[in-house]
Amino acid sequence: MSLTELTIKDFLNGLRKKEFKAREVVEAFLKNIKENDKKINAFLTLNEEEALSQAKKVDQGKKIKNLSGVPLAVKDNILIEDLKTTAASKILKNYVASYDATVIKKLKEAEVIFLGKTNLDEFAMGSSNENSAFKIVHNPYDLTRVPGGSSGGSAAAVASFMAMAALGSDTGGSIRQPAHFCGVVGLKPTYGAVSRFGLIAMASSLDQIGPITKTVEDAALLFNQIKGFDPLDATSVKFEYPPSLLNPSWEKIKKLIIGLPEEYFEKGLDKNVSSALEEAIKKLKSLGLKFKKINLPHTHFALSCYYIIMPAEVSANLARYDGIRFSALKKDVCNLKLQEIYLKSRGEGFGEEVKRRIILGTFVLSAGYAEAYYKKAQKVRQLIKKDFDRAFDKNDGGVDVILTPVAPTSAFKIKEKMDNPLQMYLSDIFTIPVNLAGLPAISIPVKKYSLKGKELPVGFQLIGKYFHEEDILGIGQYYEKLEER
Amino acid sequence: MTEITKKELKHLAQLARIEISPSEEEKLIKDLQEIISYFEELKKLDTENVSPMTGGTFLENIFYEGEDKNYFDVKKATQQFLEKENNFLKIPGVFE
Repeated sequence: MSLTELTIKDFLNGLRKKEFKAREVVEAFLKNIKENDKKINAFLTLNEEEALSQAKKVDQGKKIKNLSGVPLAVKDNILIEDLKTTAASKILKNYVASYDATVIKKLKEAEVIFLGKTNLDEFAMGSSNENSAFKIVHNPYDLTRVPGGSSGGSAAAVASFMAMAALGSDTGGSIRQPAHFCGVVGLKPTYGAVSRFGLIAMASSLDQIGPITKTVEDAALLFNQIKGFDPLDATSVKFEYPPSLLNPSWEKIKKLIIGLPEEYFEKGLDKNVSSALEEAIKKLKSLGLKFKKINLPHTHFALSCYYIIMPAEVSANLARYDGIRFSALKKDVCNLKLQEIYLKSRGEGFGEEVKRRIILGTFVLSAGYAEAYYKKAQKVRQLIKKDFDRAFDKNDGGVDVILTPVAPTSAFKIKEKMDNPLQMYLSDIFTIPVNLAGLPAISIPVKKYSLKGKELPVGFQLIGKYFHEEDILGIGQYYEKLEER
Repeated sequence: MTEITKKELKHLAQLARIEISPSEEEKLIKDLQEIISYFEELKKLDTENVSPMTGGTFLENIFYEGEDKNYFDVKKATQQFLEKENNFLKIPGVFE
């Protein structure tokens, strides 16, 4: 096995047994990036020098910490001090982060090594990574296809062995959908579980940071390190996770009941997706897990609800990009009037999709329309959340975990949906309700896929109760052990 | 149903402080119109007695003492300003 194929777990074991040095592993990843990223475009910035010097420190250190030496890629909307952070937008193309995001601080404490910053849809807005202002990411399984979005660079980097694992952010499916397209694992934690301080905000009532990894076990390890209360994020929740988060007990896991919501399996699923899901359900049944049909009656309305609430928040969050404070787009703006600087910097600095969402958000919040659109959507959001509350209610015969598809199709062709935003939005239909409700969910590959094979990866989604990451991570870990047998 | 006219688009773009070129207008109007038409389905839902969900989950008010804390280096935070004076951002006048 080559060093770049190691999981976090195996890497840490190997490092402890001195089978290799952290530096060798970091070098192997950097070499792989230099050779292969020309065709994938997963990285926007490399952190080569710093990564190598960090590796040296790990090798000289006395004790191997939680994640010592783990070579990680980070989505370029998460701030790492002194590194360029662009959110794949022209308006931030020269911006250098002046502080570390809380997740980065926590990972630095665990001696994680940052290989570089990964490509994304501009400001995390998109489902295909084609909205990056700089370059399009290609799916490592088929270069003519998209890697998904918006954390497409992170998912493609892990899938093509250019990073051991990565961080992404998920507002409507941006971790889980690319993980499904690229055959890797992606976890969106419960809203409030992971601090967003230092994440470039898109839609603040929905955004969460989470890991993209090769295995569910690795996702648990990374999540365990980045989670936790942070006074710098006002939505951060004080919650003590049990130790079983990292060591799930089979006795407990096998008693969990999995719900299958009829609304997610009705129609519009591609054949390869539905047959892969059947395979996943069959495997889970072979483990002894019980299934139950359930209903989430307002599922259909989640897309409309999301595409009102998210742009509304986007229009407010992106107001701060004025072309002045976070590095200037043009050097000659000083002679303009203030209002002209705003109009020109934002007109030139934002891409098509970002402009569309800001203007849509401005519309749904504007006088005369706010009640009919924004307020209505907030009420529908309540109905969607209540659907899940009911499905999980143990006093009402509820289930513990819900299994659904991640997206209706596997990776689609580059340019296939670019001209039709509504078609593009529909690819998030199964991931969006989770963000609206604030629940944790994970995308897990149905089986081990090979980059050399002809098959496109398919994942399945497990949705858990609030702060019950241990349930979905637990089932996932036993599921992936089936593969190893 | 709400119709997005050229005038409406210009008004929204002005509110959002985004300059829209004439070549972008037509596509934007078409896209916005299509997306907003899709929202019509929400009217089918009776939400008369539903309380709006105003944020994420488990939100509660948080109060802090007014302490003087520096979360980041002021020099670093201001180094990318186009023009500054004593670490303050310098911009053209707001009022003319």
